[in-house]
Amino acid sequence: MKKSHIILIVIIAVLIGGILTTFGDASTYAHFELAQANQGKEYIVIGKLKKDDDISFNPKTTMLRFTAIDDSGAVSTVYFNEPKPTDFERSESITMTGYATDTAFIASDILMKCPSKYNEQNRMDGNTDSYSEEI
Amino acid sequence: MDYIGEHLFPGELGRFAVILSFTTALLSAFAYARFWDKDENSGWKKLARASYTIHGISVFTIVGTLFFMMLNHYFEYDYVWSHTSLELETRYMFSSFWEGQEGSFLLWMFWHTVLGFILMRTAKKWESGTMIVLTLVQGFLASMLLGVYLGDTQIGLSPFNLIRELPDYVGLPWTLNENYLALIPEFQDGRGLNPLLQNYWMTIHPPTLFLGFASTIIPFAFAVAGLMKNDHKSWIKPALPWAFFSVGILGIGILMGGAWAYEALSFGGFWAWDPVENASLVPWLMMVGAAHVLIIQKNRGGSLHSAYILTILAFILILYSTFLTRSGILGDTSVHSFVDLGMSGQLLIYLLTFVAIAFGLYFYRFRSIKSESREDQMSSREFWMFIGAMVLLLSSLQITFSTSTPVINALFGPNGWIPVMGSELSIPTDPIAHYNRWQLPFAIITGFLVAFGQLLNYRSTASEVFWKRVGMSIAISTVLTVIITFGMGFTNPLYILLLFTSSWAIIANADFWLRIGKRSKSIAGSSIAHVGFGLILLGTLISQGKQQVISENDTYIAEDFPKNENLLINHSDTVGLGEYRVEWFDEYRENGNVYFPLRFWEPGSNDVSFVLEPFIQLNERMGQVSEPSTKHYLHKDVYTHLTYFDNRDSTERYSPWQRKQEFPMQPNRQEILYRQFMVQLDSVEVFQIDTINGQIQGAKIGAALSVKTMDGEVYQAMPTYSLDARSESREDAVIEELGLKFRFERADAEAQEIVMVTWLKKEQEDDFIIIKAIVFPWINLLWLGCVLMGIGTFIAVYQRIRNPKVKAVTPK
Repeated sequence: MKKSHIILIVIIAVLIGGILTTFGDASTYAHFELAQANQGKEYIVIGKLKKDDDISFNPKTTMLRFTAIDDSGAVSTVYFNEPKPTDFERSESITMTGYATDTAFIASDILMKCPSKYNEQNRMDGNTDSYSEEI
Repeated sequence: MDYIGEHLFPGELGRFAVILSFTTALLSAFAYARFWDKDENSGWKKLARASYTIHGISVFTIVGTLFFMMLNHYFEYDYVWSHTSLELETRYMFSSFWEGQEGSFLLWMFWHTVLGFILMRTAKKWESGTMIVLTLVQGFLASMLLGVYLGDTQIGLSPFNLIRELPDYVGLPWTLNENYLALIPEFQDGRGLNPLLQNYWMTIHPPTLFLGFASTIIPFAFAVAGLMKNDHKSWIKPALPWAFFSVGILGIGILMGGAWAYEALSFGGFWAWDPVENASLVPWLMMVGAAHVLIIQKNRGGSLHSAYILTILAFILILYSTFLTRSGILGDTSVHSFVDLGMSGQLLIYLLTFVAIAFGLYFYRFRSIKSESREDQMSSREFWMFIGAMVLLLSSLQITFSTSTPVINALFGPNGWIPVMGSELSIPTDPIAHYNRWQLPFAIITGFLVAFGQLLNYRSTASEVFWKRVGMSIAISTVLTVIITFGMGFTNPLYILLLFTSSWAIIANADFWLRIGKRSKSIAGSSIAHVGFGLILLGTLISQGKQQVISENDTYIAEDFPKNENLLINHSDTVGLGEYRVEWFDEYRENGNVYFPLRFWEPGSNDVSFVLEPFIQLNERMGQVSEPSTKHYLHKDVYTHLTYFDNRDSTERYSPWQRKQEFPMQPNRQEILYRQFMVQLDSVEVFQIDTINGQIQGAKIGAALSVKTMDGEVYQAMPTYSLDARSESREDAVIEELGLKFRFERADAEAQEIVMVTWLKKEQEDDFIIIKAIVFPWINLLWLGCVLMGIGTFIAVYQRIRNPKVKAVTPK
């Protein structure tokens, strides 16, 4: 067998391995319900901020708590152990990476999608004074 | 109708130049096809060159016209209005120019044009073949700027569109007013450049990167020309310096983008495996592989197929990247917001056309491409160079595959083209960990190959010669690895392995040039570039692997929560931040930024050691953007940025009355819940009415409110509102015991209601900010590596152009 053939086989093996693990890493987008059913396992949930519920941010512990509705309509309290992102109240959708517990979804990362252009309507949307000392 | 104040000439000139550049590019391609480097067709050659020259002049005209319009603030044009403003400094005009899609295509075209002139003069017997490819690409790019409609299909997006002619506005009343420019306030100033891009890196990063993108076309053009002419060997030599030029420029362009991200963005680092970053890295990796395979082919022959495939793929991946980042398909997965401007179809055609042309020709010629069938010695340089190119190929394919998740969804997802997958694939939950896990082994192997590759001879190397050459560098780098491992506390075996291979790559290549090669000019370029590459690996490993978040907050939260990496600092308070003490002492506004200067004391120091000023950019388009501030030491960087600040204005922040809320009330209707209080409007009292001749001129009225607490206690309040001929005034009512304030805001006679505003009294709060601070050790190794890699590559290019016959071989 020629060396070039061995190289080719190695390349193909690595490629197949790569594709398989990528599919393994790439979970599919989930809903809160699935995350609840498999507590502790990491999922990505896309949802919206439930704006009529309290958004509380405690600066002392830098803990943000809010309520989100996912695409299926399920509602969950979400804890995010990072400071409240600026313009959080204005977000149109939130992509949350994290895991569920009995009472809440613990997000390790959130990515917000904000309206691209500001205008007066969505500037007024939401309560800007939204941190509180109780959590 | 003639509109007042419009400048129509530049727009018409620009549109004409676009059409001219499109037609002359195609004409030039046609004429080159007829010329086909045959002396008897010299008439066609003249035509081809003349039309390419006109094409070039029209591209320069387009660029010049657009700049002219921007510098003169012709806000009737959409592109000028969208990307510039009156107060924008002239030096940022360049950034505005390529902020938009149209401008960046134009920049790409501009560089192709410049490179095309050089190619036309220097390609000699390859002129026709290469110029056909280049002019066809130019034709495609020019078509993206056409902005014409064929039926309902839009072809291209013109940067010379008037706002009043945009489809959204056509027919609206204001477009029919001849003086609309003066009448409509929006036209007095443009929207300006995104402040994030108002950074000096953004004036030099895009043109460098686009020169890099543009330069990949030349090796590709040589490869396609070789296939067309059925001459599979002699294209390699002229293509080789271009391939290395591309490696150098593209590499520098990518790292400039990293430098910008490190300096202006606050994701904490210079590389985040964002799809847009990957899109430029992948073609670079492929081009590095291609350039090395071309060297093998030139010096030893035997790898024609891989030379063709890698050279073609480098350019195709540029097109694929363009498609990914500009078609809007990345959508949710990238922080860079690229929206679909209706060009995705055209971009896809562009991509598929060149895939079809290049690979079609390759398979058509497949049988006639005869590589010498030869077994390379394991001890030969070409064998390991080839392995290296294959590792780079795998590495770039892995990145491409992971970045393409949205494409896979679009093709095979439940709503896709061939719906074979049950649900959409998401991106990896932790993309940085995903890519690092994959790319780390590739980096280790690449570092290993870079280290000893140059120390081998072509054909074969006697083992005693090899060991004599590598002995010293292995010894030094082993010692270095041990020192760094224990000194910095590396424990991950893969990191230690990369530590070794990258330091070996640095030392072996320096050793090769300075000692073994006796500072020979012919190996200077490659050695310096390889030392630079090793430094990039080492600098990345140490600065990222040993980065230390010093702003840890140990306030107890919950057992299984990750440790908080953000620290709260009260105004004028001094807190510990890693080994430093830090005080936040001021807040000031300048140029639309809010600065938060922080004093730092190094351990044991009584005087302020340095001041960092992380700031918040009040960005009208993107909201508030936190920008970092970094203290650069030789051996480490202290990087800080704000993760939270109170964005209320100062009158609101310092007022004891907070949580303002407004609600309408009607007498004796429902009670309103405000916080824990039930508020009811009992009645509206009229205190006084002033009448003059029977007309009501003024009045004073009050709202009798009763406020019930949760305990059932009831309090009364009576805010009043008075109006006279000249003004209105209000008297607020305060219930001290509850800390409530009420204001009679206005009365609405029609709705039979009054509008009440309430506040809740709060304790005075301390001002505070929350910051995140990271120490990046030895990040300067990375930047030094970038500089060396750039310098080394250009020395190599220069050597190859000046003296193309010299083989970069190991001196005996």
